[in-house]
Amino acid sequence: MIRVALALVFALAQPALAADKYRVGERLRQSTARPAAGASYQTIRWDALVPEGWDPARDLRGINLAMLNDGDRRATEALEKMKKAWDEAPIEPAWNGQRVRLPGFVVPLERVNEEVTEFLLVPYFGACIHVPPPPANQIIHVFPAKPVKNLRTMDAVWVIGVLDTTRSEALKGGNEAMGMAVAGYRMKAEQISPYKGPAR
Amino acid sequence: MVSGMPPAIVELTETLYRWSPGETPCLDIPAFAMRAGERLFLYGPSGSGKSTLLGVLGGVLVPERGSVRVLGNELRGASAPARDRFRADHVGLIFQQFNLIPYLSALENVLLACRFSRRREERAAGEGGARAAAARLMHHLDLEPALHSRLATRLSVGQQQRVAAARALIGRPELVIADEPTSALDAERQAIFLELLLRECTQAGSALLFVSHDRRLARAFDRETDISSITRSNAYREAA
Amino acid sequence: MRHWFALAAKSAWNRRLTLGLIVAAVALSVMLLLGVERARRDAREGFAQSVSGTDLIVGARTSPVQLMLYAVFRIGEATNNIRWDAYQAIARHPLVAWTIPISLGDSHRGFPVLGTSAAYFDHFRYGDSRPLALAAGKPFADVFDAVLGAEVAEQLGYRVGDRIVLSHGIGGIGLPEHADKPFTVSGILQRTGTPVDRTVHVSLEAIQAIHLDWQGGAPVPGFSIPAQFVRKFDLTPKEITAALVGLKSRAAVFKMQRYVDDYPGEPLLAVLPGVALDELWQVVGVAENTLLALSAMVVVVGLAGLVAVVLAGLNERRREIAVLRAVGASARGVFALLMTEGLFVTLLGCAAGVVLLLGLTLLVAPLAQSRYGITVQPRLLSLAELRLLGLVVLVGVAASVVPGYRAYRLSLADGLTPRL
Repeated sequence: MIRVALALVFALAQPALAADKYRVGERLRQSTARPAAGASYQTIRWDALVPEGWDPARDLRGINLAMLNDGDRRATEALEKMKKAWDEAPIEPAWNGQRVRLPGFVVPLERVNEEVTEFLLVPYFGACIHVPPPPANQIIHVFPAKPVKNLRTMDAVWVIGVLDTTRSEALKGGNEAMGMAVAGYRMKAEQISPYKGPAR
Repeated sequence: MVSGMPPAIVELTETLYRWSPGETPCLDIPAFAMRAGERLFLYGPSGSGKSTLLGVLGGVLVPERGSVRVLGNELRGASAPARDRFRADHVGLIFQQFNLIPYLSALENVLLACRFSRRREERAAGEGGARAAAARLMHHLDLEPALHSRLATRLSVGQQQRVAAARALIGRPELVIADEPTSALDAERQAIFLELLLRECTQAGSALLFVSHDRRLARAFDRETDISSITRSNAYREAA
Repeated sequence: MRHWFALAAKSAWNRRLTLGLIVAAVALSVMLLLGVERARRDAREGFAQSVSGTDLIVGARTSPVQLMLYAVFRIGEATNNIRWDAYQAIARHPLVAWTIPISLGDSHRGFPVLGTSAAYFDHFRYGDSRPLALAAGKPFADVFDAVLGAEVAEQLGYRVGDRIVLSHGIGGIGLPEHADKPFTVSGILQRTGTPVDRTVHVSLEAIQAIHLDWQGGAPVPGFSIPAQFVRKFDLTPKEITAALVGLKSRAAVFKMQRYVDDYPGEPLLAVLPGVALDELWQVVGVAENTLLALSAMVVVVGLAGLVAVVLAGLNERRREIAVLRAVGASARGVFALLMTEGLFVTLLGCAAGVVLLLGLTLLVAPLAQSRYGITVQPRLLSLAELRLLGLVVLVGVAASVVPGYRAYRLSLADGLTPRL
């Protein structure tokens, strides 16, 4: 009975749910504005978090697709390899202790009294719903200094805080054998504000 | 005793009032005056324009033309709030009936005049506090203390009229206007009321403008006049 | 102008019968408005704190909201179960730190029964990462041990050592019972203010045991396995309803989610509790806003009644107004008087509404606790509620402009001698 009611309400609410401003897969525009005078952070883009020289599509690039037959295993294998590399994306330890500012979308993890105390920051909209998830070096596990009010899933925010890469190094050892990276960036966020990007 | 006339407290000059443009004016007074402390009986049956006159003197109605000076103040050019304040400070009004606020006690009704006029409150308070002055005044008007806290609706007509008189007199306004105050009373009470009113007006030094259709009451007054002799308008004659 | 309030109060008291009805109407509508707002907040808080520290909830493929509802809040029923080997594959995954398997389907006198493992008492968190604590006794050790939530124990008056019998299915009365296999209360949990309070916890093996001689939802006639022999059978569960999963790294949640969603041979769904809750609120939000709008409408109706009553009474008050004018009140003052009366009645209505809300809260609290596990307590007005009240007062004052203006015009027209 309650299932039927929920299904009905859900169906009726679909238009409201789809009313978000962002499309799935959309990224936020990052301003090139200079930070405020005296600010000790740097505004970065998401690709800055990717280590230099890491290119998961390298193998795929080497193949001349035009030369292959249909259904050639090499193409599929290379694609699989790229996907796997995507999964095991390493982080860049040089970011440890750096104070940065970047925009992203919120995936709340922990709430106390309607205030968010932990969340994941991802680069594009719909990261947990429809599209494949971002690689590990494109997810930041954020701990706000103060619990944040009015934060919903997929809200777009600017985050300012200090990055931390130490914990992932500690975990790496135990799981190297399985080839699965448990790593990721963590951040102690000092300031979280709603995203208002540069004028479209 | 200083010789010379007491100052004029009311002066109407070429005052014209009509309800709407194009109509026959209901008040057209070339000249009308009252002196301080004067007791004037004005004969004016209903329809004669007396309500309009009272409205003009009270500062509620503004004549189309002419001058309305009360205590030397020209009312015609003044703003509505200024006229209302003036009325509160200097004029006490008594009507034929329904003079009181039904949900206030007799004493509260009397003190109402002080609520709206700081000047009268101070003048009343100077005699030992406004409440005491009110109580005293009511006592003079033959209202025993038991009645003071009674709700206005619980008073007899005669008692109500006397409370109204007390309210009109508290704080000693310069002018008291009484419009048919005795018409709802029986003959015996009429005489008593009139006597009390006149006595208290003298005591307070207030001029009294007493309007009535009963000429028999005019005997007690300094001056008697007919409204038709004051106004040139034909309203009275048409209504008659 | 200060005397207006005293005058307005006395004037209102004089007409207390009619105005009293209006005050009652406004009070009821304010109570409704505040009640809806408060219920909204209490429900959200209650739901949000029911689960903490859990990264994923895994169940048969269904809607995320539905999975949340039955796995965490014990509301509704699961469409399907997940196989034990699928669960074990997930539990063994290197990214996973701990899992809590849960099995639903039985009940005890209206309270849901939850089959789970010892991991429940070790890893389950609620509120602000608070672990479960026992008020008495200990977690289940024997197959037929049961641990009760605080509400169950309190309502049914159970103590450690009591015997209880479980029913098959969820529904209250008239359900077939597992009468031949009674349970012993081994422990009672401390109150959490979450659905845990109204749950009866048993081991997964116990769920298997009571259904050993059942087939397709009913006992097989003429065939029963006595309680003392159940342990001879293999009591490993074949299926469970859902599992709560904790990861070694929270940032890996998307990877794990994809693993579960892509698991071959079994349609599974993994949801992030925080995200599913937001989805639930979005869906419910439509209903909430509708309710709020409706309550606001009711308040407007109440205030319209106020305007109507005051307007209707104006004619009788013309003499009163004339008296005030004679004493020196300005037409604007008359307007102020009427406005003050309106403000007075609105304020009274709001105050009465708050008191009524308190009464309603006290009435509803035990119901909300026992049926949904949501704690509703009398509280001071929150900022949102105060804002709503402020709005109501504002609307009341604005509405009073109508009779105020009418009185203003009347006083000007009537002057000192109203023609009645």
